[in-house]
Amino acid sequence: MKPKRCMVLLIAMMILLSSRAAYADAPYNSYTYDYWGTPVPSPAPYLPIRIIDGTSLGVGNFSTPMDIFVSQDNKIYVVDSGNNRIVVLNERFEVQKVIDGFVKDGGRDTFSKPQGVFVNEKGEIYIADTDNARIVHLDAEGNYIREIGPPEGEIIPPDFQYRPTALVEGKGKRLYVISQGVNQGLIEFDKDGVFRGFVGAPKVSFNIIDYFWKLIATQEQRERMQDFVPTEYNSIDIDEDGFMYVTTSTISESDIRNAINSRSQDDRYAPIRKLNPTGEDILRRYGYFPPVGDIVFRSRGYAESGNSQFVDVCVEPYGIYSVLDKRKGRIFTYDSDGNLLYVFGGLGNRMGTFRNPVSIDIINDNYLVLDNITGYITVFEPTEYGKLLKEAITLHQQGKYDESTAKWEEVLKLNANLELAYVGMGKAFLRKDEFDTAMKYFRLGNKRDYYSNAFKLFRKEVVGRNFGLFVMGIVVICVLWWLYLKRKGRKEVRM
Amino acid sequence: METLRALRYSFYLIFHPFDGFWDLKHEKRGNLKAAIIIVFLLCVTFILRRQLTGFIFNTVKLIELNIFLEISSVIVPFLLWCIANWCLTTLMDGEGSFKDIVITSAYALTPIIIINLPLIPFSNVITAEEGAFFYFFNSLAVAWSALLMVIGTSVVHQYSMRKAIFTCILIVVGMGIIIFIALLFFNLIHQMYWFFYSIYKEISLRM
Repeated sequence: MKPKRCMVLLIAMMILLSSRAAYADAPYNSYTYDYWGTPVPSPAPYLPIRIIDGTSLGVGNFSTPMDIFVSQDNKIYVVDSGNNRIVVLNERFEVQKVIDGFVKDGGRDTFSKPQGVFVNEKGEIYIADTDNARIVHLDAEGNYIREIGPPEGEIIPPDFQYRPTALVEGKGKRLYVISQGVNQGLIEFDKDGVFRGFVGAPKVSFNIIDYFWKLIATQEQRERMQDFVPTEYNSIDIDEDGFMYVTTSTISESDIRNAINSRSQDDRYAPIRKLNPTGEDILRRYGYFPPVGDIVFRSRGYAESGNSQFVDVCVEPYGIYSVLDKRKGRIFTYDSDGNLLYVFGGLGNRMGTFRNPVSIDIINDNYLVLDNITGYITVFEPTEYGKLLKEAITLHQQGKYDESTAKWEEVLKLNANLELAYVGMGKAFLRKDEFDTAMKYFRLGNKRDYYSNAFKLFRKEVVGRNFGLFVMGIVVICVLWWLYLKRKGRKEVRM
Repeated sequence: METLRALRYSFYLIFHPFDGFWDLKHEKRGNLKAAIIIVFLLCVTFILRRQLTGFIFNTVKLIELNIFLEISSVIVPFLLWCIANWCLTTLMDGEGSFKDIVITSAYALTPIIIINLPLIPFSNVITAEEGAFFYFFNSLAVAWSALLMVIGTSVVHQYSMRKAIFTCILIVVGMGIIIFIALLFFNLIHQMYWFFYSIYKEISLRM
């Protein structure tokens, strides 16, 4: 080939190789973390498709909206905190209703800086009317049913400040309320609105090193140190089985770092917990790292430093859940075992990035993220990659292993760096009794426990198949050993 | 041939440490060459263990092998131990010379080699549930060598057992002090270098 032609070819190849059309339209970098804790780029799982604000809806701009909630009949409830109203949209994002007050005992009553909303399966609306220190219970049409005031009881201290910010209705019409500044857990009301107690209090995080420093510190230093206080929750969501997902952002950076470094599986320093109705944590944390958001982050004092600060959680079918990180504006999605599926989003001024994201929910597989500075709702639509990933996981959960293998294969075509996909393939092959293929995939996915299981079965198979050979080998070794001993004995006699 | 015989002697030594160490020094059953070979074999063992241990028990990143780092992770602690040992025992009426200390310490490391080498293939045919064996033999090797180190110290310096244990603890502390001083020294040199360098730069820029 002529040198000139070579050059043209080379340049053409370089242009082809450097094209990154697939990523060009995402305003953020998507990634996952591999087994070693290295962030690995991934295709964008979700892309922003539109922005909704109060003006375009014709209800006037939102003012510090605090919460977005999607009900079971796919209505969207936006808590427009600064305007003291709840805006209800249908799934085509058209305004259906604006609730800015209600008729109570013949008089009109309004909200004062409400911060949370929950709608049960009948369409009844619970509003955390924060500055009025009450929960307002309205029916589906927005008519007043009742209000639930501050909790009363012996265990409530006299100077108790009740500022409800988020709530859910659990099984048996019990209400679980998060109140600002409360670190005893969730406030539980029974179906008549009577205070029942606190549930799900996070265990006190107790650190031996902190304790040591506290021992040798002076009185003044001690006062400036953080107390050993339990963490307080800041958001809550409930799944169809009645398990509550709660998040907190008060766990210290060093505790988060310890949890990451020790690949912790317990709930001691967990910024996200899944509580059963008695308040015990049952979240499965079997991923490479505990679900704490970013694994790699700079220490305090540097630009863009600090661990992820979760502000909201949203539960999806099949135990998948997404958490919203306020600090970096990212959305982290985990499966029911705690494996990180994908990360997307970021801070900025473009469509798809946020200034101060506060709430997230999902409608028809599309994420809605609410920003309380801009007052925008950003709608994210799954890409092909995002769809495939979720399909592969749900198919596996449904027990359709062949179909899930096919999906994982397609996922791997789009992202060969996703260890989760290799593990998924491995699990499918393990179910099909193809142990050595399963082992290969578990190895690629760095999943040692599953690899060990596959290997155990593989070894059994190999030994079973070659049983005669093994027995013969052992006999031969015994005979040789016996001959050796005999010869050695004779030698010693001769000496 | 003599080196080979000296190497083979280590098999006898690890099972009969008191007689073994005595003869090692007084009957000249071991030599420096054999000791160096043992330390070299230990380096090889560590590298093989790092790279070839079964996937289930191996949690290091295989593609990030730094052979110099691996070798120095054996040689540096070994030399530190020998130096600290020599420094302390000369002050504490030890009978052993530096050469004796090197030979004794190297021979005491034999169990780590002869247990870990078979463990490498073994770890490839066991599952996670059978890992207890793997971890047991791993710690057995370390414990055995540590015991031999103490006995070796006691025999080579003619110490009572109690004094030998006490000395070994002091040696470990001494190793820490040496590391501390070394770090301090390098830090100071570094700062001095930058100090003179900035003076040089200042002057050269003003000229």
